[in-house]
Amino acid sequence: MSRHFFSGVLSVVAAAVSTASVQLAAAEQFVQIVHGKGAPSIEVFAANELADLLKRATSDVTTQVADHASDKSAITVCIGGPQTNPLTATSFKDWPQVSDQGIVILSRDDGSVCAVGGGSPAATLWAVYELGHRLGFRFLPRGDIDPLEKKPAIDFSEYDGVLEPQLRSRTWRTINDFAIGPESWALEEHKRFLKQLAKMKYNRLMLSVYPWQPFVEYEFAGVKKTTALHWFGEEFRVDGDTVGKKVFRGAKVFENPDFAGLTTPAERHAAGRKHMQGLIDAAHELGMTVGVSISPLEFPREFQTALPGARVARQLKSLTITPDAAHGPQDETLRKLVATKIRAYIDTYPEVDELYLTLPEFPEWDQHADVALKLLKQRGASKKLSVESLVGQARDRKLIASGDRGERAIKGNLVGLAFLAELFADSSLLERKDGKSVDLVVTSVDPALFPVLDQVIPGGASTLNFVDYTARRVADNRELLAPVPAKKVPSRLIMTLADDNVGVLPQSALQSLDTLTSEIKRHDWDGFSTRYWVPAELDSSVYFLSRASWEKDLTAEASLKELWTSATQNAAAADRLWLAWQHLEKATNLIDENDLGFTFPVDGMLMKNYRPEPIPDWWQSVTDAYTQYMIELYRAHGAIDGDAKPMLFYYAKRGEYVVEYLAAVKAVREAALAKKAGDNEAALEHLEAALESTYNCINTLSDVARDQSDRGVIATLNKFAYRPLIAEVEELAESVE
Amino acid sequence: MRHASACCVTLAGILAIVTARSSAEDWAQFRGPNATGIAAESTNPPLEFSTEHNVAWSVELGRGVACPIIADGRCFATTMTEDGKFAVLGFDAATGKQLWKKEYETGKLPEITPPNEHASSTPASDGERVFVHFSTIGLLALDAKTGDELWRHSLPMPFYLMGWGAANSPIVYEDKVIFNLDDDLASYIVALDRKTGDVRWKKERPEMLGGYAVPVVCRANGRSDIVVAGSGKMKGYDPQTGSERWTSNSLLRTIMTTPVVQDDRIYITCQSYGDTSRVLKYALLQWRDTNQDGKLAKDELEEAFHEKFDKGDANKDGFLVDDEVSAAFQSPTNMVGGGNIIQAIKGGGDGDVTKTHVVFNLDEKTPSNIASPLAFDGRLFMVKKGGISAAFSLKDGSKVWTKKRVGNYGNYYASPVAAGDRIYVPGENGYIVVLKAGPEVEVLAKNDVGDSLIATPAIANDRIYVRTLHKLYCFAEEK
Repeated sequence: MSRHFFSGVLSVVAAAVSTASVQLAAAEQFVQIVHGKGAPSIEVFAANELADLLKRATSDVTTQVADHASDKSAITVCIGGPQTNPLTATSFKDWPQVSDQGIVILSRDDGSVCAVGGGSPAATLWAVYELGHRLGFRFLPRGDIDPLEKKPAIDFSEYDGVLEPQLRSRTWRTINDFAIGPESWALEEHKRFLKQLAKMKYNRLMLSVYPWQPFVEYEFAGVKKTTALHWFGEEFRVDGDTVGKKVFRGAKVFENPDFAGLTTPAERHAAGRKHMQGLIDAAHELGMTVGVSISPLEFPREFQTALPGARVARQLKSLTITPDAAHGPQDETLRKLVATKIRAYIDTYPEVDELYLTLPEFPEWDQHADVALKLLKQRGASKKLSVESLVGQARDRKLIASGDRGERAIKGNLVGLAFLAELFADSSLLERKDGKSVDLVVTSVDPALFPVLDQVIPGGASTLNFVDYTARRVADNRELLAPVPAKKVPSRLIMTLADDNVGVLPQSALQSLDTLTSEIKRHDWDGFSTRYWVPAELDSSVYFLSRASWEKDLTAEASLKELWTSATQNAAAADRLWLAWQHLEKATNLIDENDLGFTFPVDGMLMKNYRPEPIPDWWQSVTDAYTQYMIELYRAHGAIDGDAKPMLFYYAKRGEYVVEYLAAVKAVREAALAKKAGDNEAALEHLEAALESTYNCINTLSDVARDQSDRGVIATLNKFAYRPLIAEVEELAESVE
Repeated sequence: MRHASACCVTLAGILAIVTARSSAEDWAQFRGPNATGIAAESTNPPLEFSTEHNVAWSVELGRGVACPIIADGRCFATTMTEDGKFAVLGFDAATGKQLWKKEYETGKLPEITPPNEHASSTPASDGERVFVHFSTIGLLALDAKTGDELWRHSLPMPFYLMGWGAANSPIVYEDKVIFNLDDDLASYIVALDRKTGDVRWKKERPEMLGGYAVPVVCRANGRSDIVVAGSGKMKGYDPQTGSERWTSNSLLRTIMTTPVVQDDRIYITCQSYGDTSRVLKYALLQWRDTNQDGKLAKDELEEAFHEKFDKGDANKDGFLVDDEVSAAFQSPTNMVGGGNIIQAIKGGGDGDVTKTHVVFNLDEKTPSNIASPLAFDGRLFMVKKGGISAAFSLKDGSKVWTKKRVGNYGNYYASPVAAGDRIYVPGENGYIVVLKAGPEVEVLAKNDVGDSLIATPAIANDRIYVRTLHKLYCFAEEK
């Protein structure tokens, strides 16, 4: 917002604050930060956050936080809008009308009085962080980049503005699965991350949990949930031969620190409740809403007897069961079991705001599609819908879920949706203990149903839509987004920042995210929810989404260059980083296009390449792209100073790691070819080269590991790459001898 | 109280004995006596040890990569404290009891590139004093008993075009402390009076680029020379005057290893990135030309280098192009490139000895760029990344073995050391592999010290002192 907007405001002089004696001399600047008496705690927090930012941004400024103005000579910053801060009300009588998410930074002409507020306490906090951004801070997931040079004093009249979000739902997904993701983070690490997300104005937290995890207990038909595992039940030992073991600080196994040493289901469930409740509380304190995302139709295997006829779900480690042909969408036992599970979550976490119900990724409950559609039609779905036409669309599309998988997907989706429609005929299912209701979000409705979303989901629900695994694939099929009745059904898009199928390697989808952000703005979607596992290279993407949510036409290139130019004060370095990210996205896309699942973090991750087939050309292309990425990072790293420097070093070392990993992949393939040719000595030599590269790749990663996800990647690489390779080397060495 | 006093006296007596015993052998500078890496008096250092086994003592230090040293029964180490100060610490070498700790404010710290750390200079000691360098302070002399500062000699802060950071270490020679610092701005070697810190002599080394070789002493031809390896050249200096006695123009562009002396020969092994044509300008245009327009602009370099920039900018167009890059930063008389060398140079020469004193010069891809070689048991032993070792005859450079793994992968920054009939090979991953000295690779043990290991261990009195990234251990066979 320009200064003109506030020209009327500036003539208003608040009685409580005198401007006559304000001293702006740099060496004497004193800023009193005033929040309302009895203001919401988040606004008091915002006031203290501003004090901290001012201290870090300036060299000669003293601050004081209080609920009243005490020093008439000081510069006064009012925290909060007129609703919560009387001083704002009296100082700025023409306070602009904003939505609950609108943010306002407003000052008098001489900068002596300033107000930082918004349409809600959370928006006030975002306004403080927006002011921080304008002061030169750059907030990123793993920390702040402070301004390279401190200002001697602040002229508050330079930063005025009113902002309304372009995307109202800015959702961060967390917990997930796999050791490489936030499932391995301790609550304290989550809290640090959440605080950074708040600085970037993310406003929703989605706790994505799975049936086998230790976050809820329930009992049905005499069966008690006892499964309480992390990362699909995998164990990651650490011993003397674990490469990069220094990052585990002496631990014997890699585990989530909040669950360290806990073995019994009771202990792990108790720790899980504490962990998740801590997340909910922390997010609420930062003004975020919190949702829990569950798979309502999957249960740990101990419930097999409670749901006769259930089948083992197609999934890693086969940990769950799911309904089968024996269960129709109106099956009473299934309904009760699902209701029990849902109530368990709502009763265990009574402050949760949203419940996300995710339809199965591999729908095998597809035998009742015709009945299901009939039921949906009885509840208002268009009579024109037919299973045949929906199946036809699903089979013919270009998504992963096309052909036979597409047919199963749409059929299973119909059955699941019909089941949910029957289930939520009883609206009390979503009631919290305090009498309010949890908001329902249906996740992963099949894209064939996008045009009729409002007809197939329970009344009052919103949707979170999954189209395909990678952002590139969704961008390539962006025409699917247009028919969503977004004005009738608040809809969010799952934005995959980095995909677990592409795997443990550095990834970027920045330019695809740019495309998708533009699309969902254009079609009035409510917003997005992130999807990722390793946060490492995602800073630029998370930053882009945070800024593009508020700026109408922001592009990925402009965002990235602005970020790194601000952070480094070196435009040439920022240009190189844009090139670096293009190389990174090229590498990501090459893997996505050629071998989705290339480094999926499971058994066989590396050794699946130990087969005597020609070395594909794209391996070299992807190696070249990652190599160029690494070179550009080292180049930029050498040119800059400040907080960004260690970040670039971290990225560069991770670039080195992936180049080593790719060398190992190639050497493994060469070994297989040599072995097939009967030259076991050559095969052994190639395998030893692969072993050295694998070692180097993990060791390089360990040099810069900064969080549990990095440690999770190291644990994963040891288990699924290094150790199987050693076993093969030893076996082959014996045969050679 | 009487009883307690008696105990103290008894304990003091024991400590005195232990201290007296441990003072028998010193390891008083980087890699011990004359940087050889050999503890000649230790015949039975521990073979197996770990963070839980054969630990005589250990202390938390904080981050650092400088080697520990042992002098007159004391162990000295350096670190950066949690509040960002540089600290030098003295310990009883036998018990690990901290005797003193001296802390220094550092001011704004310069850029460094991991695995380098700010506490990187290995101290040297004459038993009475401890001498140590810090990039923003200069050379310090501390009282070995108390840690009190005796003198300090300010030195210009070094600058490195690639941001490596300082890691140079002093030595003690007779009555002098000798310190060589090759950086990319103003390389020099200086000799100070070890009692007063007065400058005895100082010589500029304008042909040198950044490097980390520690000076060594070579006694040959009836005299002693201070020998320093640097970019392209090995040089011998008169210890009394600093005058340059000889030069061998046989080295590579970047020298991070320290040579070793045996009898009248100086041995050096080194790998410098690229081939012989890879002079400095290529690295600068690859890494410092941020916008990749093929020329270096002034603002692409730190201000410290602007004077050199101006010198090289012959046409004064504000850019360094092609040979202007070389002219600015690499001496026209020393345009050496990369490669690998394993070299023996006979000491005691005069003038240009390139053609007369190089005994052998091997072009084998076996040397490390950082870990120095070990001249031991008639062989020149070396290990590089991947744990790949090689050995050549000290006599004639003939190959004993090449490309033999020592059973531990990873990087090798610390240098191998030896005592008795064992060679200790420290890997960055915290494993110290023990080899049996001999004509073949025979692994005797693989010991895990549990942390990153950049500093070369010290050996004295059958004890091994290991400074990991965060801790200092003394390993000794449990009696």
